[in-house]
Amino acid sequence: MNIHTYEKTWLAVAMVLIVGFIATITYGAVGPGIAMIDDDGGTIDPDTINDDERFSDPGVTHVGGNEYEAAVVAQAWAYTPSEITVPANSTVTFYVTSRDVTHSYTVAGTNVNTMVVPGQVSEMTVEFDEPGEYGILCNEYCGAYHHTMEGKLNVVPEDEFDLTELSTEAPDEAQLGNQTTINTTVSNDMNYDLETTATLEIGNQTVEQDQTVEQDQTVEQDVTVPAHGSETLEFAVDTTDFGTGDHDWTVTVDGHEGSGTLTVTNATEGGDGDA
Amino acid sequence: MRISKGGLLVIMAFLTPLIVELRTVLSWFGIRLSVVETGALGLALIVAVLIWAMWPSNGDTEAKLA
Amino acid sequence: MAMRNAYIDQFPEEARVIRAALWSSFLALMIGGTLGLIQGLHRTNVLRFIPSQDYYTVLTAHGVLLVITFTIFFLVGIFTWAVTTSLDRGVKDIRFTWGWYAMMSLGTLLVGVSILGGVVDQIPMNADVLYTFYSPFQAHPAFYVGFVLFVVGTWLAGFDWFRTWWAWKKDNPDERIPLPTFMALTTMLFWYLSSIGVAISILAFLLPWSLGIIDSVNPLLTRTLFWFFGHPVVYFWLMPAYMLWYTMLPKLSGGKLFSDPLARVVFVLFLILSTPVGIHHQYLDPGIAEGFKFIAMTNTMFLLLPSLLTAFTVVASMEHGARQRGGEGYLSWLKALPWRDPAFTGMALAGLMFAAGGFSGMINAGLSINYLVHNSWWVVGHFHLTVGTAVALTFMAASYWFIPQLTGKEIWNRSLGLVQVVLWFIGMTFMSNAMHRAGLFGIPRRTAEPQYEGFSFDPAVGTVAEIDAQVALGAALLTLSVYLFITNMVLTTIGGSTSDAIPDNTYAGTLSGPEDSPAIIDNLKLWTSIAVVLVIIAYSLPLASIIDAGGLFGPGIDPWKPSVVVDPSLVLESVRGVMP
Repeated sequence: MNIHTYEKTWLAVAMVLIVGFIATITYGAVGPGIAMIDDDGGTIDPDTINDDERFSDPGVTHVGGNEYEAAVVAQAWAYTPSEITVPANSTVTFYVTSRDVTHSYTVAGTNVNTMVVPGQVSEMTVEFDEPGEYGILCNEYCGAYHHTMEGKLNVVPEDEFDLTELSTEAPDEAQLGNQTTINTTVSNDMNYDLETTATLEIGNQTVEQDQTVEQDQTVEQDVTVPAHGSETLEFAVDTTDFGTGDHDWTVTVDGHEGSGTLTVTNATEGGDGDA
Repeated sequence: MRISKGGLLVIMAFLTPLIVELRTVLSWFGIRLSVVETGALGLALIVAVLIWAMWPSNGDTEAKLA
Repeated sequence: MAMRNAYIDQFPEEARVIRAALWSSFLALMIGGTLGLIQGLHRTNVLRFIPSQDYYTVLTAHGVLLVITFTIFFLVGIFTWAVTTSLDRGVKDIRFTWGWYAMMSLGTLLVGVSILGGVVDQIPMNADVLYTFYSPFQAHPAFYVGFVLFVVGTWLAGFDWFRTWWAWKKDNPDERIPLPTFMALTTMLFWYLSSIGVAISILAFLLPWSLGIIDSVNPLLTRTLFWFFGHPVVYFWLMPAYMLWYTMLPKLSGGKLFSDPLARVVFVLFLILSTPVGIHHQYLDPGIAEGFKFIAMTNTMFLLLPSLLTAFTVVASMEHGARQRGGEGYLSWLKALPWRDPAFTGMALAGLMFAAGGFSGMINAGLSINYLVHNSWWVVGHFHLTVGTAVALTFMAASYWFIPQLTGKEIWNRSLGLVQVVLWFIGMTFMSNAMHRAGLFGIPRRTAEPQYEGFSFDPAVGTVAEIDAQVALGAALLTLSVYLFITNMVLTTIGGSTSDAIPDNTYAGTLSGPEDSPAIIDNLKLWTSIAVVLVIIAYSLPLASIIDAGGLFGPGIDPWKPSVVVDPSLVLESVRGVMP
């Protein structure tokens, strides 16, 4: 075959370019270790997502050291959870699946990006070095309101990060002289036990734990929340000396707060309230 | 004319990507142009090309003399 | 009377079919281009006069009309010209030729009406599934039936060209295949091979599913079958443009094709490598092992070779043409090219933009950097340079040569034609540059309102508003260019008078002819066999593992009909409802 010399040179340069591209990409995979999304996440029947161990309670959990897992369920047109918070200097493995159509899970302006295909679980491991705030968006058309599907990613300084959650449950109202209870549930998704102090404050005074709380008092209670578990604390409140009216209360655990207002009524007025 | 009208039109068109990308390239050197400045620079380039194209070349002058 | 020897004089019957195909193509271009302007203005929030839900109907129509209807109708017209001209014989039976044209038209009509149902309440159909129709989105059955009719129409068109070639071969047993026919046939061979993917996806899964015969599909499987077809289809659009660059551009430049053998090698490489690359669209898909993605990446990179060879040959041919016209010097020969000819200038500018599109394509093909750009506006910028310019601008430019050939009439206004192709180049510069840059800082594609509540985008240079303005300006110039083109074509066809000055129907000669290449290059059976083997290597294991993991019909995937339009706040309520 008759090929012009210039064309032979061009052919050689083209081959060098192509082989060079393949070499740099291969280096990217084996050197810095940029792995592709693959089939490691496995498959899932979208109808069983609520029963799935990982996706029934989606969100961030601690695996150990600086490693975390984040489970996210995508569906038209929202992510659950919509906001993800992780610490800086962490390695987070995302598991994302879809309840309905194909979505993506994309951290805008970064290389954190995966398709989310129903029936499949996308597994993606990301290293977060610096604190920052990022938008999460869906970049695959998923129906009429596709453009409203978004989320948020917060990378916070390590010392500001925990996986403690607090929820409180208390009656809004009590009759003067009766005893009532403020229940506080503390959950911990770290891979180690959380030892901390729970504090209830009503008004501006402090009283030890296990004592009945009276007016303007704060109660402290030591608590150990097991790894990936939760504890429920009961604060008994005696309203005898409270006086009628509204009393604000705050439960503080490990820097997280839950608060409410207890309205103390007269015995007779209370009757009206119940009616 | 140093160049055909068609050729001139194509050169002016080709200036568009150069001007648009010049702004990006300059930003790497810390020179940040606004849209108006970029437009003015582009206009200046176009005028320069027009003057170059319209300026009678030696060949043309001789042709006219002949 | 002067002896005119235009295509219409040689093949009047075929010229009628080609005219019909080209006009179908132009109509799709006009509608699709107009929809593109609506999108450009809507996304950038410059002008929003449709509800954002309808944006996706418009986007579906824009995609289907431009990348399927516009390109492929033009292709069948040009390939019919190429085969009949280079074999110097008409098609075997013109009724068969009209038959495949009618089938493609009927398919287009069905697809078009089903998409239109997304915005017209009187049409009880919906196909807001975009050009990729990923399940579990479920379109109206008419959408799938129309798509199948259209593709089968192209298969029959290919058969038409093959049997014309077989008849010619009987009469010319020792001749090499003429280059334009060689190009059409090799293109059709990989088209047959790759469109099997979409045929299986529709006929075995999506159509029976939309008719209620099966309950569930495997979204990853139908998606993979789509991309089995979805990347080769881009070469299907591109090959007629390449054919025009090889066979027309050297002639329009005033010279000859640099090398016939390498042109053949290029088309053989496309035949072999077009299909086993589709997984590069699925780099970020779960359920496909990394090794398969690596194979697709390697094949994709080797596909750069035929395009790089084309760049050389096209530029070398142009330089040869320029020197024949008296051009001199290292670069001054450029001045000697026929820049006043819209056919030449349009194709040259299209080739130049394709180089830029090729570079962004190399980025897309990079396995690891794809994470950054995947499904971003960058990708839209990329394919508006490739299919949107390399292909579309070449087709429009070529029409300035072809329409006179097919009608016997002079172009109504050639200067306007020159302005039109240059305007396309300028408009696309603005639009695709902004799209590429926007993709780098995360603005997504396929989104009606890329303005989010919880965050904003952070460009490295300039502002998002400037990017948006640049896109809107580009879209407006491009649409203006389309209308100038259509106006010129309409006035040429209905207003122009028949001219005897139409040039003869010929294509470029060659500096180095087919005799310089071994005969094995023309062995289509051999290259097809190699293509099949490569496809089996690239696809059998991924498909097997997808079916093995997710089942042939998926793990209980419910169809999602996009017609169910509801208030997003209600949907958020339902989201909370299903979450434990």
